[in-house]
Amino acid sequence: MDVDEGSSLDTIGDQSVPQHSRRCKAFHQFTQQSLPACKPVLTPKWVSSWRTTICEGLFLKMFFTVFGYLQVVEIVDRYDAECIPEAYKSNKMAYIKDNSIPKNCSQFLKVYKRMKAPIYIYYQLDNYYQNHRRYVKSKSEQQLLHGLGSNDTSSCKPQESNNGLPIVPCGLIAWSLFNDTFTFIRGKSELKVSRKNIAWKSDRDHKFGKHVYPFNFQNGTLIGGGKLEPSIPLSDQEDLIVWMRTAALPSFRKLYGRIEEDLDTDDVVVVKLMNNYNTYSFGGKKKLVLSTSSWLGGKNDFLGAAYVFAGSSCIFVSLVFLLLHTKIPGN
Amino acid sequence: MILYFVYKNVAFGLTLFYYELYTSFSGEVLYDDWYMTLFNVLLTSLPVISLGVLEQDVSSEVCLQFPSLYQQGQKNIYFSWSHIVGWILNGVLSSLVIFLANIYILSPAAFKEDGHVADLTHLGAITYTCIIWTVNCQIALIISHFTWIQHLFMWGSILLWYIFLFMYGALPPSYSQRGFRILVESLGLVPMYWLVTLLVVVVSLLPYFTHIAVQRLFYPMDDHVIQEMKYSGKDVVDDQMWQREQSNSKKMTQVGISARIDARIRYLKDNLHQKKASLYRSVSPIFRSLTSSPMFYF
Repeated sequence: MDVDEGSSLDTIGDQSVPQHSRRCKAFHQFTQQSLPACKPVLTPKWVSSWRTTICEGLFLKMFFTVFGYLQVVEIVDRYDAECIPEAYKSNKMAYIKDNSIPKNCSQFLKVYKRMKAPIYIYYQLDNYYQNHRRYVKSKSEQQLLHGLGSNDTSSCKPQESNNGLPIVPCGLIAWSLFNDTFTFIRGKSELKVSRKNIAWKSDRDHKFGKHVYPFNFQNGTLIGGGKLEPSIPLSDQEDLIVWMRTAALPSFRKLYGRIEEDLDTDDVVVVKLMNNYNTYSFGGKKKLVLSTSSWLGGKNDFLGAAYVFAGSSCIFVSLVFLLLHTKIPGN
Repeated sequence: MILYFVYKNVAFGLTLFYYELYTSFSGEVLYDDWYMTLFNVLLTSLPVISLGVLEQDVSSEVCLQFPSLYQQGQKNIYFSWSHIVGWILNGVLSSLVIFLANIYILSPAAFKEDGHVADLTHLGAITYTCIIWTVNCQIALIISHFTWIQHLFMWGSILLWYIFLFMYGALPPSYSQRGFRILVESLGLVPMYWLVTLLVVVVSLLPYFTHIAVQRLFYPMDDHVIQEMKYSGKDVVDDQMWQREQSNSKKMTQVGISARIDARIRYLKDNLHQKKASLYRSVSPIFRSLTSSPMFYF
């Protein structure tokens, strides 16, 4: 690195001021553009050393991430199409909107690799725009924290009140609460599923009131989703809390619960689910996901692939550079 | 500096447009309002200002010794159309890398070991962090004269983003909206957050890095040549070559305001001569014969 100290032009100005303070000198350096500086120059040596460092770093990261992801086991099962009875396959809307038709369904999941506890259960929705602007706006944070006492529920329209009475929790997000349920059976016994601590702690403690109870919820003519137990405060209604965290993309997963037992290879898990939620009217899809996790989270091939791509393209360009530089030396 | 400004705003703004593709064009914004407000005000403005004020591609004495460097401004070398389009494309590419990497890495699977999934708040914060890092590291690649001020502004801007995120998250949810406790609870200790940032910064800056490496190796500009000479100490070691280059750069030029003024003066002088000559010829036949001889023109 080339380091420039203050230039010799400094001394011309300094002669009139024999004793100058450090601040005066610093100000002088600043105004004369003679601050101490380093001027790195991108020589071929630096280019190749930077590239090598970057490539090595990328490759290391690549190995770590791929190694991490290889350990994650994920089972995805789409059930919304299969769970429609034969009679209603051509008229899904009638099926889903009719409360008298039983919505039970069974799915069989085969575990292809040993899954260690905790195994996370997610429900995945596709083509569901929870990130739509009007939808995201349609809730009242004040009301979620303070309940009936808050007046600021205008953003919740049209799900603000019903029959003159306010709705708690108001808004479209709460109104469209996901209400499919899942139970898991392996062999003869039911697997233990924990439905606690699935929401973010900051939400449970600070955004949803401990003394706020559902009121006048899903009482209207148009039912949008699940109902809430009126005796449980909102801070304990973890399904609601998880659902209210609007997803970023049209295809998203939300945490349903955790299986606290290991699943061995070739285990068959029978999922008894209730296919309550209507995704048929807009062409949405519902999937059930069972996944373990690593230090990086769930199964995501993209990160490993991205690092492989970046690392290998880096190496390739470095080799090309080396070749060109040895063939055509710089001036 | 201007082109960098264009670049950073293109890189930032386009991510917002790309996100609209995923929200069925409803107008939902990827970032919290305060993030967007602070982008141009606090988080990326200071390094640009330091670049404009303090940047020296060569030092002032060298500038005086090599007047031909001034032609870079006159010939509009650094602000040509190819430069403008190049920087805009760099911005587009950066925005694509930042956005797509975040979209595909953070969804739909969990991003934390405890199984939590990234939602709108996390995607926004992580994407924004990648933008801040990319844009500030990009300016680090542009600057060739690093003083403590530039370092303070660049790395300070990045640090300021984290400090802001921390303090914003500490406010009650009614004020901090999307940013409530996001750094301390969701992002700060999550390895994925830092890995994504690193990957995105490296990949988005690689094209520019390759470009400047190629340019310096095979198509160096005048100031690059001089920088390299100073860096390797050739001006001290090979004084003859240094002096020769200086005299080369002091040749008369055909561009620039002084050249244009000289040309104008010559043109006006010629005009004046011709007018005088035609005047004399019309007034007297003696002068007519005199002016027809080449000795008249002096």
